[in-house]
Amino acid sequence: MFPPILRDAVVFASILSMLSTGLTLTYMTTKVPNFAHGDFAVVSIYVSLILAEILGLNPYLGILPGFLVGGLAALILYLLILKPLLDRGASYVILMIATIAYDMILISAINILADYLTGVYKVVTRLFILKSYDFQVFDQPGIVFIAPLIAMAMVISLYLFLNKTKFGIAMRAAIENPSLAGVVGINVNLTYAVSWFISGGLAGISGTLMPLWLMCNPDLGMRLIVSIFAASIVGGLTNIYGAFIGGLLIGFAEVLGTGYLSIIVGSWIIPYRPIIPLVMMSLTLLFAPKGLTGIAWREIFKRGE
Amino acid sequence: MPLPIAAVFLIDLLAFIGIFAIIALSLNLEFGYMGIPNFGKLLAVAGGAFFVGAIPGRILAYTLGAMNGLDYIRDNLKIVSGLNQILSSNPALSIAYLILSLIGAALAGAILGYIASYPAIRLREDYLTITLLAMAEILRTIGYNWPDLIGGTKGIPIPDPFRWVGGELRILAATITILATLGAVLAYMELVSRSPLGRVLRAIRDNELSAETYGKDIVKFRMKTLMVGSAIAAIGGALYTFWTASVTAAGFHRVTHTFWPWVMVIVGGAANNFGALVGAGIFVTLRKIISFYKSYFEPYVPFDVVWLEYLFLGLALIIVLMYRPEGLIPEKPTRTLSPDRLQRIISKIRGSGEASKEG
Repeated sequence: MFPPILRDAVVFASILSMLSTGLTLTYMTTKVPNFAHGDFAVVSIYVSLILAEILGLNPYLGILPGFLVGGLAALILYLLILKPLLDRGASYVILMIATIAYDMILISAINILADYLTGVYKVVTRLFILKSYDFQVFDQPGIVFIAPLIAMAMVISLYLFLNKTKFGIAMRAAIENPSLAGVVGINVNLTYAVSWFISGGLAGISGTLMPLWLMCNPDLGMRLIVSIFAASIVGGLTNIYGAFIGGLLIGFAEVLGTGYLSIIVGSWIIPYRPIIPLVMMSLTLLFAPKGLTGIAWREIFKRGE
Repeated sequence: MPLPIAAVFLIDLLAFIGIFAIIALSLNLEFGYMGIPNFGKLLAVAGGAFFVGAIPGRILAYTLGAMNGLDYIRDNLKIVSGLNQILSSNPALSIAYLILSLIGAALAGAILGYIASYPAIRLREDYLTITLLAMAEILRTIGYNWPDLIGGTKGIPIPDPFRWVGGELRILAATITILATLGAVLAYMELVSRSPLGRVLRAIRDNELSAETYGKDIVKFRMKTLMVGSAIAAIGGALYTFWTASVTAAGFHRVTHTFWPWVMVIVGGAANNFGALVGAGIFVTLRKIISFYKSYFEPYVPFDVVWLEYLFLGLALIIVLMYRPEGLIPEKPTRTLSPDRLQRIISKIRGSGEASKEG
């Protein structure tokens, strides 16, 4: 029914779009590129692993705990590290370094957890995959349907939350103009904390899905961060829907590009997959630095007529 | 003549401090003076190391006729041992090889810095940061997956320019070379920081708009700074490969060659060369002590102790950022000219003014 490469592309693009949407959300609130974003997902990868291998449950049950754990990891970064630094008037370079330091802390914590699980429960915690826990629909692994469904559900509920709820509208106001939002009685700090929690939570959900399809390792977040940033930059860094589309684009380009190139030029090209998001990001920066959402599409179409 | 253990330990320590101090100084130029958050420091360091692993050895082999139809990577051991024999009996050639390789590495680093920064140099720093980080990862991927460059996963030994010194003293000679280079880099950085150029860099860092108003081309300065910084970091990477006389892509990692230099610069104090120096010294010494005592902990914890070390490093960096963001040695106010010289310049201007009035 599906060519395998398309399945691969669909799952990866869905996962990536969840990550890039979250990254852009935090970038819009705190204006700091968060280098620890990939690790929020990796924390949840281990939630899936614990559920499946140790508790013997279905890894899909990890979606809610994964959301909470990822969200918590993000909330800690915001409340305990970035907020105090912001209050001290730290420049955004300092904030960026702080996210790298937090990245370091999370990776170490994840590795300690991985070592501990291996030592105590004798589980494989490095370079593992949980594909065998997945169910089959129409002779296809369930993740091929679940991942895009969850990604769609995420972007729709984000849209509804930001446009139809009072708190969501307050959040947008706080992002747009924090001081003015503060004047009209919006608790800016609370809205920022919530957006960090949502951002980490979305990464967490994508993390729980990852082991069902991808080979997982504690450094997966570090490897994904370039793709996540590329997706957000292609999307424009100031628009979560742009980031969602950027995630889909980069995801498809990475998988399909590597797949077809390996057929044309040989399989030696496969390890160079990270070059694809980098090239797409560089082209975006050179020709449309404001990303997809920054291009005046209407004018281009008008000119075409 | 075998060196005593304590001397080996000390030489080892000094070599690592020297290499990381060179890298930290280059980062200090980029970040401390210019405000460029270069999270792709690995790019230049690995670039210098890969250059030294890939190019000078091949050139030597071709010019000295050591190839004989052999493949430089597959028959590397044979070729390098042949070259080592030639080098060990020819100090002048060894020194020329060392110096030319270092110059080449610096050029390679500068070119990499230019290419990497090109797409994003005109944009905000966060774009530049992520592009540099991504470029560094890709260079590492290439080094790791393209065996023809530096032997891929296994790495290769390189011709040893210190062999003529003889026996264990080679490590001493290599370390002295590293420290001498560090001295030269430090002198250069001090000169830059006190020169008008250094003041322009800081002016741009502190307020881009006002610097631009005074006619400073910010993009040009940023690009130049990145190229010089990358060239110096590449020398650091090259010296490391000469010190070990081998190169592997796996030896270069974002943690060790980007994150650690950042910790050194922040802890030591940004925009202060001696801060970077002190930061590198403290960091390398602490790590050496920790790795020495690590084996005592190992049986008591159910995980690899190295993660605990990284965890504390991350925490320490955040604590420094919160409570002492200026580092151990804070930035000093910009040096101005001495009062005498100012007086002389003023009288000179007055003198010429009066002279023109009279005329």
